[in-house]
Amino acid sequence: MLAVATAEQLPVQQAREGNPEAWDTLFRRYQLPLYVYVFELAHNEQTSLDIVQETFIAAIRHIGGLRDDEKFGGWLFGIAHQKVIQLWRKHGGKEILFDEIPEPPDEFENSPDDLLIRREQEIEFMNLLNQLPSPQRSVLLLHFVENFSLEEIAHITETQIGTVKSRLHYAKRALRKLLEEKK
Amino acid sequence: MKTPRDILFARHENVEPKLDAIRLSVARELNNKETREQSFQEFFASLFLGCSKNFWDELIFPCRRIWTGLAAIWILIFVVNLSQRDPAEMMARKSPPPSPEMIMAFRQQEKLLAELIGSNEPRIAEPPKTFSPRPSSERRFETLMT
Repeated sequence: MLAVATAEQLPVQQAREGNPEAWDTLFRRYQLPLYVYVFELAHNEQTSLDIVQETFIAAIRHIGGLRDDEKFGGWLFGIAHQKVIQLWRKHGGKEILFDEIPEPPDEFENSPDDLLIRREQEIEFMNLLNQLPSPQRSVLLLHFVENFSLEEIAHITETQIGTVKSRLHYAKRALRKLLEEKK
Repeated sequence: MKTPRDILFARHENVEPKLDAIRLSVARELNNKETREQSFQEFFASLFLGCSKNFWDELIFPCRRIWTGLAAIWILIFVVNLSQRDPAEMMARKSPPPSPEMIMAFRQQEKLLAELIGSNEPRIAEPPKTFSPRPSSERRFETLMT
Protein backbone atom coordinates (compact mmCIF):
# COMPACT_ATOMS: atom_id res chain seq x y z
CA MET A 1 0.00 0.00 0.00
CA LEU A 2 1.25 3.47 -0.81
CA ALA A 3 2.12 5.44 2.28
CA VAL A 4 0.04 8.60 2.35
CA ALA A 5 2.23 11.43 3.64
CA THR A 6 0.58 13.86 5.96
CA ALA A 7 0.25 17.46 4.87
CA GLU A 8 2.67 18.60 7.58
CA GLN A 9 5.50 16.57 6.03
CA LEU A 10 5.09 18.11 2.60
CA PRO A 11 7.48 20.96 1.71
CA VAL A 12 4.79 23.25 0.31
CA GLN A 13 6.34 26.42 1.71
CA GLN A 14 9.73 25.59 0.16
CA ALA A 15 7.98 24.86 -3.15
CA ARG A 16 6.28 28.24 -2.92
CA GLU A 17 9.74 29.80 -2.59
CA GLY A 18 10.77 28.08 -5.83
CA ASN A 19 12.83 25.23 -4.39
CA PRO A 20 13.12 22.56 -7.17
CA GLU A 21 13.72 19.74 -4.68
CA ALA A 22 10.54 20.62 -2.84
CA TRP A 23 8.58 20.49 -6.08
CA ASP A 24 10.16 17.17 -6.93
CA THR A 25 9.07 15.77 -3.56
CA LEU A 26 5.52 17.04 -4.03
CA PHE A 27 5.20 15.74 -7.58
CA ARG A 28 6.71 12.39 -6.66
CA ARG A 29 4.16 12.12 -3.87
CA TYR A 30 1.14 12.94 -6.04
CA GLN A 31 2.03 11.76 -9.54
CA LEU A 32 0.53 8.27 -9.29
CA PRO A 33 -2.63 9.19 -7.30
CA LEU A 34 -3.30 12.03 -9.76
CA TYR A 35 -2.75 9.77 -12.73
CA VAL A 36 -5.04 7.08 -11.30
CA TYR A 37 -7.77 9.64 -10.68
CA VAL A 38 -7.49 11.20 -14.14
CA PHE A 39 -7.16 7.88 -15.96
CA GLU A 40 -10.22 6.35 -14.31
CA LEU A 41 -12.22 9.34 -15.51
CA ALA A 42 -10.64 9.89 -18.95
CA HIS A 43 -9.83 6.25 -19.87
CA ASN A 44 -6.92 7.22 -22.08
CA GLU A 45 -3.28 6.88 -21.12
CA GLN A 46 -1.82 9.67 -23.23
CA THR A 47 -4.62 12.10 -22.36
CA SER A 48 -4.18 11.29 -18.68
CA LEU A 49 -0.41 11.82 -18.84
CA ASP A 50 -0.98 15.16 -20.58
CA ILE A 51 -3.45 16.24 -17.92
CA VAL A 52 -1.03 15.28 -15.13
CA GLN A 53 1.70 17.31 -16.82
CA GLU A 54 -0.59 20.31 -17.32
CA THR A 55 -1.67 20.04 -13.69
CA PHE A 56 1.93 20.12 -12.48
CA ILE A 57 2.76 23.14 -14.65
CA ALA A 58 -0.38 24.94 -13.49
CA ALA A 59 0.56 24.15 -9.88
CA ILE A 60 3.98 25.78 -10.32
CA ARG A 61 2.44 28.83 -11.96
CA HIS A 62 -0.40 29.30 -9.51
CA ILE A 63 1.10 28.16 -6.19
CA GLY A 64 0.89 31.81 -5.12
CA GLY A 65 -2.89 31.46 -5.05
CA LEU A 66 -2.82 28.60 -2.53
CA ARG A 67 -3.47 30.04 0.92
CA ASP A 68 -3.50 26.97 3.13
CA ASP A 69 -0.45 24.74 2.67
CA GLU A 70 -2.23 21.81 4.28
CA LYS A 71 -4.72 21.79 1.43
CA PHE A 72 -2.10 21.34 -1.26
CA GLY A 73 -3.31 17.85 -2.18
CA GLY A 74 -6.94 18.91 -2.58
CA TRP A 75 -5.86 22.00 -4.49
CA LEU A 76 -3.79 19.89 -6.91
CA PHE A 77 -6.64 17.43 -7.46
CA GLY A 78 -8.96 20.40 -8.00
CA ILE A 79 -6.76 21.58 -10.88
CA ALA A 80 -6.74 18.10 -12.39
CA HIS A 81 -10.51 17.79 -11.95
CA GLN A 82 -11.08 21.05 -13.82
CA LYS A 83 -8.89 19.82 -16.66
CA VAL A 84 -10.89 16.58 -16.88
CA ILE A 85 -14.12 18.58 -17.02
CA GLN A 86 -12.65 20.74 -19.79
CA LEU A 87 -11.83 17.54 -21.66
CA TRP A 88 -15.38 16.22 -21.24
CA ARG A 89 -16.84 19.51 -22.40
CA LYS A 90 -14.60 19.44 -25.43
CA HIS A 91 -16.01 16.02 -26.28
CA GLY A 92 -19.58 17.09 -25.55
CA GLY A 93 -19.92 15.29 -22.20
CA LYS A 94 -22.61 16.70 -19.94
CA GLU A 95 -23.11 14.04 -17.30
CA ILE A 96 -20.76 15.66 -14.79
CA LEU A 97 -23.01 18.68 -14.64
CA PHE A 98 -26.38 16.98 -14.36
CA ASP A 99 -26.98 14.18 -11.94
CA GLU A 100 -29.81 14.22 -9.48
CA ILE A 101 -29.62 11.72 -6.66
CA PRO A 102 -31.64 11.60 -3.46
CA GLU A 103 -30.30 12.55 -0.03
CA PRO A 104 -28.31 9.81 1.72
CA PRO A 105 -29.53 8.21 4.97
CA ASP A 106 -28.18 9.54 8.26
CA GLU A 107 -25.81 6.64 8.88
CA PHE A 108 -22.78 7.14 6.71
CA GLU A 109 -19.55 5.17 6.47
CA ASN A 110 -16.68 7.50 5.86
CA SER A 111 -13.73 5.18 5.49
CA PRO A 112 -12.19 4.20 2.15
CA ASP A 113 -11.11 0.86 3.56
CA ASP A 114 -14.56 -0.31 4.59
CA LEU A 115 -14.71 -2.09 1.23
CA LEU A 116 -12.33 -5.01 1.05
CA ILE A 117 -12.10 -6.82 -2.24
CA ARG A 118 -10.93 -10.34 -2.86
CA ARG A 119 -8.52 -11.07 -5.69
CA GLU A 120 -11.19 -12.78 -7.80
CA GLN A 121 -13.46 -9.75 -7.41
CA GLU A 122 -10.97 -7.19 -8.67
CA ILE A 123 -12.12 -7.31 -12.27
CA GLU A 124 -15.76 -6.98 -11.24
CA PHE A 125 -14.83 -4.08 -9.00
CA MET A 126 -13.15 -2.25 -11.84
CA ASN A 127 -16.00 -3.01 -14.24
CA LEU A 128 -18.55 -1.64 -11.82
CA LEU A 129 -16.44 1.41 -11.10
CA ASN A 130 -16.43 2.17 -14.80
CA GLN A 131 -20.19 1.67 -15.02
CA LEU A 132 -20.90 4.30 -12.40
CA PRO A 133 -21.98 7.74 -13.62
CA SER A 134 -19.01 10.11 -13.85
CA PRO A 135 -19.98 12.29 -10.84
CA GLN A 136 -20.26 9.25 -8.57
CA ARG A 137 -17.07 7.73 -9.98
CA SER A 138 -15.20 10.98 -9.43
CA VAL A 139 -16.28 11.23 -5.80
CA LEU A 140 -15.56 7.58 -5.14
CA LEU A 141 -12.09 7.81 -6.67
CA LEU A 142 -11.18 10.85 -4.58
CA HIS A 143 -12.37 8.96 -1.53
CA PHE A 144 -10.45 5.77 -2.38
CA VAL A 145 -7.26 7.26 -3.78
CA GLU A 146 -6.51 10.00 -1.25
CA ASN A 147 -9.09 9.51 1.50
CA PHE A 148 -10.20 13.11 1.10
CA SER A 149 -12.85 14.33 3.51
CA LEU A 150 -16.34 15.21 2.30
CA GLU A 151 -15.47 18.91 2.55
CA GLU A 152 -12.31 18.44 0.49
CA ILE A 153 -14.15 16.42 -2.16
CA ALA A 154 -16.84 19.09 -2.30
CA HIS A 155 -14.14 21.71 -2.78
CA ILE A 156 -12.33 19.72 -5.48
CA THR A 157 -15.49 18.94 -7.45
CA GLU A 158 -17.06 22.34 -6.69
CA THR A 159 -20.28 20.81 -5.37
CA GLN A 160 -22.25 20.87 -2.12
CA ILE A 161 -21.22 18.57 0.73
CA GLY A 162 -24.70 17.02 0.71
CA THR A 163 -24.30 16.15 -2.96
CA VAL A 164 -20.90 14.58 -2.32
CA LYS A 165 -22.33 12.58 0.56
CA SER A 166 -25.16 11.29 -1.61
CA ARG A 167 -22.92 10.37 -4.50
CA LEU A 168 -20.48 8.59 -2.24
CA HIS A 169 -23.21 6.72 -0.41
CA TYR A 170 -24.96 5.43 -3.53
CA ALA A 171 -21.71 4.56 -5.30
CA LYS A 172 -20.51 2.57 -2.32
CA ARG A 173 -23.86 0.87 -1.94
CA ALA A 174 -23.80 -0.15 -5.60
CA LEU A 175 -20.28 -1.54 -5.25
CA ARG A 176 -21.12 -3.45 -2.09
CA LYS A 177 -24.22 -4.90 -3.66
CA LEU A 178 -22.26 -6.15 -6.63
CA LEU A 179 -19.54 -7.65 -4.49
CA GLU A 180 -22.12 -9.47 -2.38
CA GLU A 181 -23.84 -10.82 -5.48
CA LYS A 182 -20.57 -12.19 -6.80
CA LYS A 183 -19.77 -14.09 -3.56
CA MET B 1 -8.17 -9.04 0.46
CA LYS B 2 -7.24 -5.64 -0.94
CA THR B 3 -8.54 -2.16 -0.50
CA PRO B 4 -9.82 -0.29 -3.58
CA ARG B 5 -6.75 1.98 -3.35
CA ASP B 6 -4.39 -1.00 -3.60
CA ILE B 7 -6.22 -2.33 -6.63
CA LEU B 8 -6.25 1.03 -8.38
CA PHE B 9 -2.58 1.73 -7.76
CA ALA B 10 -1.53 -1.77 -8.75
CA ARG B 11 -3.32 -1.38 -12.07
CA HIS B 12 -1.24 1.68 -12.98
CA GLU B 13 2.17 0.85 -11.56
CA ASN B 14 3.64 0.33 -15.02
CA VAL B 15 3.08 3.99 -15.93
CA GLU B 16 5.48 5.21 -13.23
CA PRO B 17 8.50 5.64 -15.59
CA LYS B 18 6.40 7.90 -17.82
CA LEU B 19 5.28 9.90 -14.83
CA ASP B 20 8.91 10.25 -13.74
CA ALA B 21 9.76 11.62 -17.18
CA ILE B 22 6.90 14.12 -16.90
CA ARG B 23 8.12 15.19 -13.49
CA LEU B 24 11.61 15.89 -14.88
CA SER B 25 10.22 17.84 -17.82
CA VAL B 26 8.12 19.94 -15.45
CA ALA B 27 11.22 20.57 -13.31
CA ARG B 28 12.78 22.21 -16.38
CA GLU B 29 9.71 24.44 -16.63
CA LEU B 30 10.34 25.43 -13.03
CA ASN B 31 13.58 27.14 -14.05
CA ASN B 32 11.72 29.13 -16.68
CA LYS B 33 11.95 32.84 -15.75
CA GLU B 34 8.45 33.58 -17.01
CA THR B 35 6.96 30.86 -14.82
CA ARG B 36 8.73 32.21 -11.76
CA GLU B 37 7.61 35.77 -12.43
CA GLN B 38 4.02 34.65 -12.90
CA SER B 39 4.18 32.71 -9.64
CA PHE B 40 5.51 35.75 -7.77
CA GLN B 41 2.85 38.01 -9.30
CA GLU B 42 0.12 35.62 -8.22
CA PHE B 43 1.64 35.43 -4.77
CA PHE B 44 1.50 39.21 -4.31
CA ALA B 45 -1.97 39.45 -5.84
CA SER B 46 -3.16 36.76 -3.47
CA LEU B 47 -1.47 38.50 -0.53
CA PHE B 48 -3.16 41.81 -1.40
CA LEU B 49 -6.57 40.17 -1.78
CA GLY B 50 -6.06 38.25 1.45
CA CYS B 51 -5.15 41.43 3.35
CA SER B 52 -8.13 43.27 1.88
CA LYS B 53 -10.44 40.45 2.87
CA ASN B 54 -8.98 40.30 6.39
CA PHE B 55 -9.34 44.08 6.69
CA TRP B 56 -12.98 43.84 5.66
CA ASP B 57 -13.75 40.76 7.75
CA GLU B 58 -12.06 41.92 10.94
CA LEU B 59 -12.38 45.69 10.94
CA ILE B 60 -15.32 46.74 8.79
CA PHE B 61 -17.84 43.91 8.74
CA PRO B 62 -18.15 43.21 12.52
CA CYS B 63 -18.77 46.94 13.24
CA ARG B 64 -20.68 47.69 10.07
CA ARG B 65 -23.47 49.55 11.93
CA ILE B 66 -20.96 51.82 13.66
CA TRP B 67 -19.20 52.51 10.36
CA THR B 68 -22.52 53.23 8.67
CA GLY B 69 -23.50 55.60 11.51
CA LEU B 70 -20.17 57.40 11.28
CA ALA B 71 -20.54 57.76 7.53
CA ALA B 72 -24.07 59.15 7.95
CA ILE B 73 -22.85 61.68 10.55
CA TRP B 74 -20.04 62.80 8.23
CA ILE B 75 -22.48 63.24 5.35
CA LEU B 76 -24.83 65.21 7.62
CA ILE B 77 -21.97 67.48 8.78
CA PHE B 78 -20.94 68.07 5.19
CA VAL B 79 -24.49 68.93 4.10
CA VAL B 80 -25.01 71.31 7.07
CA ASN B 81 -21.67 72.96 6.42
CA LEU B 82 -22.55 73.43 2.76
CA SER B 83 -26.00 74.88 3.46
CA GLN B 84 -24.71 77.44 6.03
CA ARG B 85 -22.23 79.12 3.74
CA ASP B 86 -22.75 82.87 2.87
CA PRO B 87 -24.29 83.05 -0.64
CA ALA B 88 -22.60 86.44 -1.41
CA GLU B 89 -19.25 84.95 -0.58
CA MET B 90 -20.08 82.04 -2.79
CA MET B 91 -21.04 84.43 -5.64
CA ALA B 92 -17.91 86.47 -5.13
CA ARG B 93 -15.88 83.31 -5.30
CA LYS B 94 -17.72 82.20 -8.35
CA SER B 95 -17.51 85.58 -10.30
CA PRO B 96 -14.48 85.88 -12.52
CA PRO B 97 -11.94 88.77 -12.06
CA PRO B 98 -12.73 92.03 -14.04
CA SER B 99 -11.28 92.26 -17.50
CA PRO B 100 -8.90 95.16 -18.52
CA GLU B 101 -11.67 96.59 -20.77
CA MET B 102 -13.98 96.88 -17.77
CA ILE B 103 -11.29 98.62 -15.74
CA MET B 104 -10.72 101.11 -18.59
CA ALA B 105 -14.46 101.83 -18.91
CA PHE B 106 -14.68 102.36 -15.16
CA ARG B 107 -11.82 104.88 -15.20
CA GLN B 108 -13.38 106.77 -18.11
CA GLN B 109 -16.66 107.03 -16.23
CA GLU B 110 -14.80 108.32 -13.18
CA LYS B 111 -13.06 110.96 -15.31
CA LEU B 112 -16.37 112.04 -16.89
CA LEU B 113 -17.97 112.41 -13.49
CA ALA B 114 -15.12 114.58 -12.30
CA GLU B 115 -15.50 116.86 -15.37
CA LEU B 116 -19.23 117.22 -14.75
CA ILE B 117 -18.65 118.28 -11.18
CA GLY B 118 -16.29 120.98 -12.46
CA SER B 119 -13.03 120.26 -10.91
CA ASN B 120 -11.41 119.18 -14.08
CA GLU B 121 -8.21 121.07 -13.19
CA PRO B 122 -5.98 118.91 -11.33
CA ARG B 123 -5.39 120.03 -7.81
CA ILE B 124 -1.97 121.51 -7.25
CA ALA B 125 -0.65 120.22 -4.10
CA GLU B 126 0.81 122.79 -1.77
CA PRO B 127 4.50 122.39 -1.38
CA PRO B 128 5.40 121.14 2.02
CA LYS B 129 6.61 123.77 4.45
CA THR B 130 10.23 123.62 5.18
CA PHE B 131 10.90 123.14 8.78
CA SER B 132 14.04 124.53 10.27
CA PRO B 133 14.70 123.53 13.81
CA ARG B 134 15.23 126.42 16.21
CA PRO B 135 15.77 126.54 19.94
CA SER B 136 12.53 126.77 21.95
CA SER B 137 13.66 130.06 23.73
CA GLU B 138 13.79 131.84 20.34
CA ARG B 139 10.23 130.72 19.54
CA ARG B 140 9.01 132.13 22.86
CA PHE B 141 10.65 135.52 22.03
CA GLU B 142 8.86 135.68 18.72
CA THR B 143 5.53 135.13 20.43
CA LEU B 144 6.15 137.89 22.92
CA MET B 145 7.09 140.35 20.15
CA THR B 146 3.89 139.77 18.30
